[in-house]
Amino acid sequence: MRRLRRGCRAGVVGLDMGRGRGRGRGRGRSVPLRPPSPYRLQLSPSRETLTYAQAQKMVEVDLDGRLHRINITDPLPVITEDEMMAQDIVECNSNKENSEQTQSRARPGRKPPNTKSRRRESKNSSHQSRRSGGHTQSQTNSFQNPSHHSPLPEPTFRVLEAPCPLDAPPLPPSYYRFIEKTGEEQDQEAEYDMDEEDLAWLDMVNQKRVCEGHASVTPDTFELLIDRLERESVLESRNQALSQSAIDEEAFCCVCLDDECLNSNVILFCDICNLAVHQECYGVPYIPEGQWLCRCCLQSPSRPVDCVLCPNRGGAFKQTSDGRWAHVVCAIWIPEVCFANTVFLEPVEGVKNIPPARWKLTCYLCKQKGRGASIQCHKANCYRAFHVTCAQKAGLFMKIDPVRETGINGTTFSVKKTAYCDNHSPVGTRRDGSGDEAVEGRLVGGRGTRGQRSYTQTPPPPPRKKTPKGQKKGKKSSTRRSTVPVLLVPQIPSHRLNKICTGVAVQRKNQFMQRLHNYWLLKRQSRNGMPLIRRLHSHLQAHKTAEQREPDEKLSAAMEELRYWQKLRQDLERARLLVELIRKRERLKREQMKLHQAALELKLTPALILLRSTLDQLQEKDTPQIFSKPVNLAEVPDYLEFISKPMDFSTMRAKLEAHAYCSIADLESDFNLMVSNCLKYNSKETAFHHAALYLREVGGAILRHAHRQAQSIGLDPSTGMHLPDSPNKHGFYQCTWEDVDSLLDPVNRLHMSTEEQLKALLEKLDVVTSMRSSGGRTKRIRLLRREINTVGYKQQRSQSINGKEEEEEVDDEDDEEEEEEEVADVEEVEEKEEDVKKEAVENGLLTSDSTPDDSPPTLEPSCPVSSLLPGDTPPEPPVLGLVSAGRRSPGRSNKRQRSSRSGGNVRSDNDAEVSETLKPSKQEEAPTEVCSPETPSPSTNSSPPVGVGRRTSVLFKKAKNGARLAKNKVSLQNGGSTEGKNNGLDSTPIAPTPPTAPTPPLTGSNPAPPTTAPTPSSPSSHQLRSRGSSSEGEGEKTLPLLVKEEGLTNGLGKHKDDDPDPPSDDQKQSTPPPPKRSRGKPALAKVPESQNGDSGRSLLLPFDSETELTPLDLVWAKCRGYPSYPAMVVDPDMPQEGLLHNGIPIPVPPVDVLKLGERRQKETGERHYLVLFFDTKRTWQWLPRDKLLPMGMDDTVDKLRLMEGKKPNVRKSVHTAYDRAMVHLNHVMNHVKGNLTFNPSNFI
Amino acid sequence: MAAGMYLEHYLDSIENLPFELQRNFTLMRDLDTRTEDLKEQIDSLAREYTSNARTLSSEQKLSLLRQLQQSHGKCKEFGDDKVQLAMQTYEMVDKHIRRLDTDLARFEADLKEKQIESTDYDSTSSKGNKSDLRGPKEKKVARMKLKVKSDDDCSPKSGQKKAKLTQAPEFPAPTVNFGNVHPSDVLDMPVDPNEPTYCLCHQVSYGEMIGCDNTDCSIEWFHFACVGLTTKPRGKWYCPRCTQERKKK
Repeated sequence: MRRLRRGCRAGVVGLDMGRGRGRGRGRGRSVPLRPPSPYRLQLSPSRETLTYAQAQKMVEVDLDGRLHRINITDPLPVITEDEMMAQDIVECNSNKENSEQTQSRARPGRKPPNTKSRRRESKNSSHQSRRSGGHTQSQTNSFQNPSHHSPLPEPTFRVLEAPCPLDAPPLPPSYYRFIEKTGEEQDQEAEYDMDEEDLAWLDMVNQKRVCEGHASVTPDTFELLIDRLERESVLESRNQALSQSAIDEEAFCCVCLDDECLNSNVILFCDICNLAVHQECYGVPYIPEGQWLCRCCLQSPSRPVDCVLCPNRGGAFKQTSDGRWAHVVCAIWIPEVCFANTVFLEPVEGVKNIPPARWKLTCYLCKQKGRGASIQCHKANCYRAFHVTCAQKAGLFMKIDPVRETGINGTTFSVKKTAYCDNHSPVGTRRDGSGDEAVEGRLVGGRGTRGQRSYTQTPPPPPRKKTPKGQKKGKKSSTRRSTVPVLLVPQIPSHRLNKICTGVAVQRKNQFMQRLHNYWLLKRQSRNGMPLIRRLHSHLQAHKTAEQREPDEKLSAAMEELRYWQKLRQDLERARLLVELIRKRERLKREQMKLHQAALELKLTPALILLRSTLDQLQEKDTPQIFSKPVNLAEVPDYLEFISKPMDFSTMRAKLEAHAYCSIADLESDFNLMVSNCLKYNSKETAFHHAALYLREVGGAILRHAHRQAQSIGLDPSTGMHLPDSPNKHGFYQCTWEDVDSLLDPVNRLHMSTEEQLKALLEKLDVVTSMRSSGGRTKRIRLLRREINTVGYKQQRSQSINGKEEEEEVDDEDDEEEEEEEVADVEEVEEKEEDVKKEAVENGLLTSDSTPDDSPPTLEPSCPVSSLLPGDTPPEPPVLGLVSAGRRSPGRSNKRQRSSRSGGNVRSDNDAEVSETLKPSKQEEAPTEVCSPETPSPSTNSSPPVGVGRRTSVLFKKAKNGARLAKNKVSLQNGGSTEGKNNGLDSTPIAPTPPTAPTPPLTGSNPAPPTTAPTPSSPSSHQLRSRGSSSEGEGEKTLPLLVKEEGLTNGLGKHKDDDPDPPSDDQKQSTPPPPKRSRGKPALAKVPESQNGDSGRSLLLPFDSETELTPLDLVWAKCRGYPSYPAMVVDPDMPQEGLLHNGIPIPVPPVDVLKLGERRQKETGERHYLVLFFDTKRTWQWLPRDKLLPMGMDDTVDKLRLMEGKKPNVRKSVHTAYDRAMVHLNHVMNHVKGNLTFNPSNFI
Repeated sequence: MAAGMYLEHYLDSIENLPFELQRNFTLMRDLDTRTEDLKEQIDSLAREYTSNARTLSSEQKLSLLRQLQQSHGKCKEFGDDKVQLAMQTYEMVDKHIRRLDTDLARFEADLKEKQIESTDYDSTSSKGNKSDLRGPKEKKVARMKLKVKSDDDCSPKSGQKKAKLTQAPEFPAPTVNFGNVHPSDVLDMPVDPNEPTYCLCHQVSYGEMIGCDNTDCSIEWFHFACVGLTTKPRGKWYCPRCTQERKKK
């Protein structure tokens, strides 16, 4: 059974409220059970609707289907038994009379009113009155009877003992809690409870079984099995239910054609034919459980029924009292016909009473004559007749109105039915009555379309009775027709049955199960297929509705699918996670492998690692990479003549990898060899020389550190592996200020030899430099350095005693050193603060420790090298000089360097100090090396001009001192000009001075080969060498040189500011280091040799710094912000009319240029040269001497200059200018010689 | 059904995945055993070296060391191969997942439509369903790992987005209810105790993640919140650690 419930419509509710009696409401479901009344009482005149007050005063008695209404105020006659017989007769008569009367009366009452509520109301009231009637009747009865026999019954009573209320059981401390069982829990237990029927059946079965000798089945088992069967059926029916069609939302009652649906008056659907009727319209006072079938489906399922009153089929039928069928609507509208039972609205009575005239009417709608009974238009004088169903179908105006009638027994209500033919339908209600419907209320006529739908135009021949059921309901039913079996008891397949009873131990199981199943089936059928367990039923219902909400099987299948995919997604996610983990693992493994390798390497070849790192550190310090590759012998073919054992970092590395080094000492020896080679081959003014010096300083520290490391690690030199037992780590770095201070005190060192002292001091220096920076540290570093220097002197002195020659040298050296130290000290004092600051920065700590001496500072063994040599200042651009031309006072050059550095660059101060400290340490060997060869004469051998120097040492020293003084002045003025260039310039002019510079003999007689001496070369060796040569030149030339310089300076004319940015020292300092290409060691002595002749001397070689730069020389002029540029020195005093230089015209400097030069010279107080650049515009410039570098002296120099420009366009312009300069030179030379060919292009 | 068509195709495509996974894993296993062999070899060589260090000439030493180095080199090669394989495998799985995600999104969209249609019968239930749908839908989107950037050696793709979105397995997913699907059976992934952790916080991945552009980054992925991001930054992004390291250089 399906029901349609809809929410009450507001209007209806209002109506209901207004008219309904509270008591009557909700009656639709309850079956009024009336007690049979023993007496026939006076028949009530009618069953019209009564007001509440009326109903209260009336007693209605329903006797034999008839209502008897008694007013309570009416006197009731008391009738004796004999009288009753007579009464009976009278009653019978009156009944006969009344039958028609009641019929006619009942009809208005039962016929569907226009409005649901009205109809309901009428029924309500009738019910109510009936009920109350029954009640009153029994009441009256109770006191009527005794009154008949005896006067009045004596009331008897007895007093009951006052019930003493029992003490209520104490409440539990906590609340009762009802926990609803979950579905699973409920599934576990048997919910079914046996009823008497089941007990009886079970008894019977058990009796039989006992007779057969089987154990009886317990009720528990029975319940369990029934429960299981129920569940199974629920599952089955759930599947079936899915196939059921949904409830038609637009369903309407086919009796009243209304789709209104109240809770008390729902629309029921026949489960077979899908007929939709209101409860009240079809007389179904309560909603049945299970399925519900309409009468014709229930009683005549096999054949369709035809209405006796009309020719139409479909719709709600009821049986007539004579077993035929009639539409409920027809029964309502045809006045002669009524329902025997007005509640159940069946059977239809009075068909026989229909007058023949009515039968003969011809329906104007279906035009069928003699079929069924028709009604006529209520319009006066209109005789059009129509079948009720035809009228419904045609949508004629059919209205049922409640009418109030005031009769004998007060006001009664009857129903007035009006039906009009379409000609007489009230205006506005015709056909399109939808609008009116809302206004006027429920008009049957307004629902023509519905009527049309609900009835089929039956086939005209009435005898045709055998039409399929499906057509009963016409369109709707034919579409809705389902061939579902009558009973919805699902069949449970046998395998399911077996499954059900698996858990149960019953003898003769199969037989019993079969019986039980049959019994269950019967029981279900008897209950209209209702499930025996409520919960499952409701669950089924709910589930049904839920399923019906999404009846789309596809949808649920899709859901399932979605779930599947989501599971898959999860699995994949897990797989991904796994792979991710694997990936991580593999990466870790790879890392582990690398670490393993490193560890193994460390274990097997710790020495190698140490050496390698040391070498790396060393090489790091060689920023210009001068030493990284072997000397290119193609560049310097004579290299091997000087150097027997070339060495470089790459060779060292190769040796290292070949396990040729066993200890740091081996490495150190090679390193020293490399440095000494460089120092030996390159004159000390060259950049290479300086780089070598620097590298030696830095490398010394690195190597010392490496030594210490090797010691502390405990390396086995033979295997290159760790010693079995680690050496005592009496920390090298564990030292305190006291240690340092004590060492600083010379008294404490008295027991040591100078060498030991030096060593100790150096070590302490390393330690201290590696310490955290503090005031005390800086101070001690300085002290240590000074001490080291002094010790170095002492050492040298003690050694110099051995030989006079050495003494001379050392004297020289000492003087220098002393002076240097003085200067250095002064500088130190001056720059103390900067120093401190700088060192703090070096260590990454700017914490200046105010308490220097407090506590033994904990030392941090950071790499001493890095801290010792903070400024990896790129060495000065390697300026190529000539070895043979190295006749310059080393002191001067040193001074230069010193002053320049101190003046311009704070950072370099530390380096200078370091260099100082290191120098003495090496100097002990230096003299021996350098002086060992008894070089016979300086005239034949340029390299050991020592002899000359020795002889003239005193004189030379003085001269040198004087020169130095002058130089100091100059250098102070110059500030931080790079001495490299000056050196180059200085030395070049002197180069040719030695008459012959045969280099080949030099190699043979050269100082001891590096291999013999572990620390072969030292600055001093070079210094000595060059000094020796310079001693002559210096001695002879310094003074005149100075004089000439003065003269030149004086002679300098006026200058004119033509240069936007005058060169400055800072700029100078920032001159970029030369490109890497210059790292090859320059050819030594080559140029001088080739230019042994004085041919190009005047032209090509600007000579000794100040003097030799003569006008018309070609120079590299360095302007600020610009690389060195080819230029020509021009005499500012040249005649204004111009002059020809070897036939080449020389441009005349403009007057303003001259003025500028004058002014600038005044400002700076030093001599400036007027230069003419070889640029396209031929610009003029005044430049100091140190900005000028002779051009064309050396290929390498020129090349370097050419490469100086950073930007390609600048370089190109320099090239062009250089070409121009060379062309100029060519011209000049050609004029002079005519044979000199110079091809500038090979330089580029 | 039509909606499931692409999923069917997907099923075909994923059919090979287990085999490929297996192949890769066996390959990796193979490599691993070989690595282990090499390791043993290395160990024996090292032992030999240490025991005979005193007696061996430098050439012998050199050859021994060279052998060691070669073995190590091979080990490293194998390690690289393994990492490569693992990454390939990851990419493979990831590709499948991404495809499945898109397909699923489509599928769910279809399903949602259908559900809306069908739930017209009953407004209340449809409402419920719709709201239910929304939850997992968003979740779904959030779960998509947009790991377009592969981490390691990678690849031309690295220019693409590198934010990845991952689901949080440890997120309680009680709100997730897809239609009538019970929350228990979908989407709340079981928490894997071995799930890799990422980020500075060493937590499993959840929400939006960002990958460090340093290929050698040890962590690789970071939660947006942990590195103070709310949106994906433009250009390259380096994790705090790598940024520091880079600064040092």
